[in-house]
Amino acid sequence: MLLALMKKELLALSRDIHGMGALFIMPMVFIIVMSMALKDVYTPATKRLAYAVVNQDQGKTADTLIERWADEAGVAQPLPAQWQDEVRAGRLKYVLLVEAGFSKVMDNLASQGDAKARLLTEPGLDNSVFATNRMRLLAIAAQLRVEGLLAKLPRKLNASALSGDAPVVAERMSVGLRPTAVQQNVPAWLVFGMFFVVASIAGLFVEERACGALSRLRSLGAKPWQLIVSKIVPYLGVNGVQATLMLAVGVWLMPEIGGEGLSLQGVNWGALLLMLLAISLAAVSLALAVACLVSTHAQAATLGPILNVLMAALGGVMVPLFVMPPVMQKIATYSPMNWGLEGLLNVLLRNGDVASVLPHAGRLAGFATLMLVVAFGLFRRRI
Amino acid sequence: MLAIRNLSFRYPTASVAALTEVSFEARRGEVLGLLGPNGAGKTTLIAHLSGLLPLQSGDITIDQQPLAAVRARQPTRIAVAPQEYAFYPSLSVAENLACFAGVGYLSGSDKKSRIAECLAFAQLERYATVHADRLSGGLKRRLNLAIALLHRPELLLFDEPTVGVDPQSRAFLLHAIKQLAQDGCAVIYTSHYMEEVEAIADRVVILDQGRVLTQGALTELLNASGTLLQLAVEGDEPERLQTLLAPFGDVTRQGAGVQLTLASRRSLAAVIAAVDATGLVVSHARFGHADLEQLFMSLTHHSLRD
Repeated sequence: MLLALMKKELLALSRDIHGMGALFIMPMVFIIVMSMALKDVYTPATKRLAYAVVNQDQGKTADTLIERWADEAGVAQPLPAQWQDEVRAGRLKYVLLVEAGFSKVMDNLASQGDAKARLLTEPGLDNSVFATNRMRLLAIAAQLRVEGLLAKLPRKLNASALSGDAPVVAERMSVGLRPTAVQQNVPAWLVFGMFFVVASIAGLFVEERACGALSRLRSLGAKPWQLIVSKIVPYLGVNGVQATLMLAVGVWLMPEIGGEGLSLQGVNWGALLLMLLAISLAAVSLALAVACLVSTHAQAATLGPILNVLMAALGGVMVPLFVMPPVMQKIATYSPMNWGLEGLLNVLLRNGDVASVLPHAGRLAGFATLMLVVAFGLFRRRI
Repeated sequence: MLAIRNLSFRYPTASVAALTEVSFEARRGEVLGLLGPNGAGKTTLIAHLSGLLPLQSGDITIDQQPLAAVRARQPTRIAVAPQEYAFYPSLSVAENLACFAGVGYLSGSDKKSRIAECLAFAQLERYATVHADRLSGGLKRRLNLAIALLHRPELLLFDEPTVGVDPQSRAFLLHAIKQLAQDGCAVIYTSHYMEEVEAIADRVVILDQGRVLTQGALTELLNASGTLLQLAVEGDEPERLQTLLAPFGDVTRQGAGVQLTLASRRSLAAVIAAVDATGLVVSHARFGHADLEQLFMSLTHHSLRD
């Protein structure tokens, strides 16, 4: 009996074009689009910004400044005739303008002057990129100033004492894997996609109930637990296919279309499977509870996606948790999608093992149990 | 085969009972017509027989065994063809049959041959691969019938099986249901269409407001309901005719004429003589027994479709 019911469930899902699209195409598109869109957030693109140089000074110090800037920001583009218009239109991201007299001001400590090195950027340049470039230019100018100062000292210092890297290092803590947009987005949209079974299950269940097929199954002796299990198992499989597909998109497709690839190097497969199973159980159980709660197809088609989007927005899927204010971060910890996402990030970004994801998997399992109890209670009342 | 004794049922939130002391039997080899307007209790009764509602009061037995025990051991002995299209619209005809066959534990060659038999019985072989939602109303009803027959049930419940079908499919379904009874099934048939029930039912049970109003062999019930005379006179004077005929029995207006159910010991000749004596000219006269619709209306004082 169970096999017949499960086969029916999969057949019905395979004929539901919209449901299939929501389960497989939508999360895939989200992963591709969001990874490409947020690529620069995780891998700053200052070296790739198109810029040009206006050197009105031609002094040695100005030349050195421009050389050192090119080391940091890449080779400058030829200066267009109407460079101001090009910058305003965003075709050039910025121009490094060294005003006449800049070298003189820098070389002669006693002299005063208004000559400056200016960064003139396009109006829409990201604030963080703007600030980063400003700080870099300041650092280069300060270095040149100190070099000039030391050169004028009666007792010459070894110039090499000033060379080398600055004694400041800033880097993300990691255990070998470098977080990228793909590494962040694959787990996020995978969790979102897995929870989209809510709409599919609820829709098919309402249809089954409305057309009388469910009553017919009951009259043929199908028990409530058999009907519920026959829905859980196929959708665990559907979630499994989703997860495989999304990970494949991250690993193989993203590098092919110009993004960074998802690295599964060093991933604890047991922990990954445990997290996927826990997320799937939570999603399918929530779907069954919603399916038993709603009465019409319209309710199922509305409530499912609303719940999904809410849980995703609150759980850090749509907006990363670290940009949320503390209150929202606290609220996020109540979203099952957040438990799933944090568990997957543990595995994919932090090389987490089974023990490290147990709290997340445990919360998801508890949620799944609660939803199943609700679903079972409602199911018995509705039939 | 099926015996229902003093069955009463009240839904938890309802103020009145859906069924009150309902008793009747259904026998192998005959079609039992179950008649009643909306709210009469037919659906509640069928839900009991389908195992979807628990017994509150009374007994239901199949061959002297409690229904619950029979359903626990062999739920497929009873099959329901509900009013809704109780199958999966996105699955093909054959996939639907395979699904419900599997749920009833048919497997292997038995399942295959039974699906083929049911397709043949419902004349659906040509449509085996067609998705159910693309079938016409008549073909959907035939699929409903085919699914109900999968497990060779002994008791078949048909709930309004001809709603929304063309005359050709209706004739086919009625013939098929009659055939099933002749093959030894006990059939319970509910319908709003009195002429259908008259055409195929051997016995009828008339329900209203959860109670059995009458039951018995259809011919006996109709004969016992009295002699009918439908009469119209020239000059469009139904009120005068109604007054004139009142002493002879139960008179009701019917369009431009009247319908008289003759009281016992009253003769038709006396009625005709009374009309003739007034000088009224008869424009239409019809004499005979009441049909099922008239019997129903005389019992419930409202139409079946109310």
